[in-house]
Amino acid sequence: MEDLIALAFTAFVVENIILTQFLGICPFIGVSTKRSSAVGMGSAVIFVMLISSTVTWVLYQHVLVTLNIEYMRTIMFILVIASLVQMVEIFLKKVSPPLYKALGIYLPLITTNCAILGLALININEGHSFVETVVYASFIGLGFFFVMYIFSMMREKINRAPVPKAFQGAPIALVVAAILAMIFSRFGGIV
Amino acid sequence: MNKRMTSGIVLLVLGLLCGILLAGVNAMTAPVIQERQLEKVNDTLEGFYDMSQYDVEIVDIKGDTIETAYVLDGKDSGTLDAVVYEASAYGYQSDVVLLIAINQDRTIHDYAVVSENETEGLGSDAVTHDFNLAGSSIDDLSEFDGIAGATITSDAVLACFEAVQDRVDEELGG
Amino acid sequence: MNVKKNFLKGIFEENQLFVALLGLCPALAITTTLENAIGMGMAVFFVLVFANIIVSLIMSNDKLAELVRPVRIPVFIVVIATLVTIVEMVMHAFLIDLYNSLGVFIPLIVVNCMILGRAEAFAAKNKPFDSLIDGAGMAVGYALGIMILGFFREVLGKGTLTIWGSLQVDFGFVFDFLGIEPLELFTSPVGAFMVLGFILAAVVAIAQHRKNKQASSKDVK
Repeated sequence: MEDLIALAFTAFVVENIILTQFLGICPFIGVSTKRSSAVGMGSAVIFVMLISSTVTWVLYQHVLVTLNIEYMRTIMFILVIASLVQMVEIFLKKVSPPLYKALGIYLPLITTNCAILGLALININEGHSFVETVVYASFIGLGFFFVMYIFSMMREKINRAPVPKAFQGAPIALVVAAILAMIFSRFGGIV
Repeated sequence: MNKRMTSGIVLLVLGLLCGILLAGVNAMTAPVIQERQLEKVNDTLEGFYDMSQYDVEIVDIKGDTIETAYVLDGKDSGTLDAVVYEASAYGYQSDVVLLIAINQDRTIHDYAVVSENETEGLGSDAVTHDFNLAGSSIDDLSEFDGIAGATITSDAVLACFEAVQDRVDEELGG
Repeated sequence: MNVKKNFLKGIFEENQLFVALLGLCPALAITTTLENAIGMGMAVFFVLVFANIIVSLIMSNDKLAELVRPVRIPVFIVVIATLVTIVEMVMHAFLIDLYNSLGVFIPLIVVNCMILGRAEAFAAKNKPFDSLIDGAGMAVGYALGIMILGFFREVLGKGTLTIWGSLQVDFGFVFDFLGIEPLELFTSPVGAFMVLGFILAAVVAIAQHRKNKQASSKDVK
């Protein structure tokens, strides 16, 4: 249990997927201009990340390893993620239209979000057990949401600030992200 | 023909083609990868045994802790003389990787920490630390002597030995 | 189509990293040394060029194109993933150090939006040869981009410049002369965001300057 709590904390801040592992930078820069879109993207990622990580873990350990074709993992993972995203989309459309309305436009973008595939691969590379995979994936997702949310609040403020012309848009966003990364890099000392 | 069916077949055929292609590339690269893998640990193995006396067979285990076993067969006798296990366990901040050599009579011949990234000074002593196990039987780890002040790293090392204890029957027989 | 123009657009006006802001994840993650950037650049070059050729070959055959069209995105993804896996295996076998330092970012070339983007936006609509040139241009542009990042981060962060293996230039004497230490900050995530931010700003500033110049030269006429 203690191990799992440490793992959860590590996943949430110390190994924050955006700021220390550099995964999911595209949505981080691209969809963080407004708070509402950051929340939408963040929730969609938490959701898909958890499902895809567990499904790919099971498939890898019980199908690919058994058949001795581990080298097919990249192809299989990306196809699993793409079809999962489709299924989640169809499922949400039927079961909960309001939720679909909120997350709908972010779901297709998730297929090419490297955080999802990256996490599936990291779980395999690190040799996480099933329970560890579930915990790690949930907290990595939460960490993604958390950083997206903070960052979108900062960007809303920056949009109203007088930024030098050359720095407007992405450049200033990256510099702000650097400062945020500086704060997060200090969490490493806690665990 | 049904449109959906056609699409499905197209994807299936493509998947098969790619699978065959990858299997081919894998067949070419896998032996090279294995050779490199052996090269990497060869120096450590030389420290344990006179490697010119043995034929080495690499067994991929892919367990949680033990990843690989190097089975050493005597060149003259052709019998299995020793097994070296490569085991890793998560320590304080990183994986601690050990090579543990077990003789045919189940005694621990020698061991070496080959890679760790633990805190400078404390856990990193693991590379030079004597865990007081060389010579004792793998079935009895009571002599294990951890590093004072680096409990988590020591536990990781012990976990590696315990995993070998559970595994050793597979190679050496019960 | 003009071959030279087709090639150069990927390096300058449509540079995938600095202008289109695609492929940011590996650009930030693996540019701690110039060597990594060169290795990543080569991997991306291989995948992008071959993906473009294969996609264009499939889509320029009318019968095949008709079969593939309803499922073209999955088909493209499978083609790209296969190429990436080949790169991964070959690197694992022959360039083990590079393989270890690029780590998870080699398989992640699959989800580099740039590659799927070029397949969909260019290769699916153009001839194989044009697609080859387009892919090569885009890949060279991207590789140059991450090499610039790697150059600044390694020189400022470590005081060295690793070109390939042991081929390394040591800038320690410059730091000694100035009486300062290389700032390790630049090899950390913080430095990655910072350096990319400043380079992007510089790119925007240069583009703007050129535009102004063109505008003023028109006024004179």
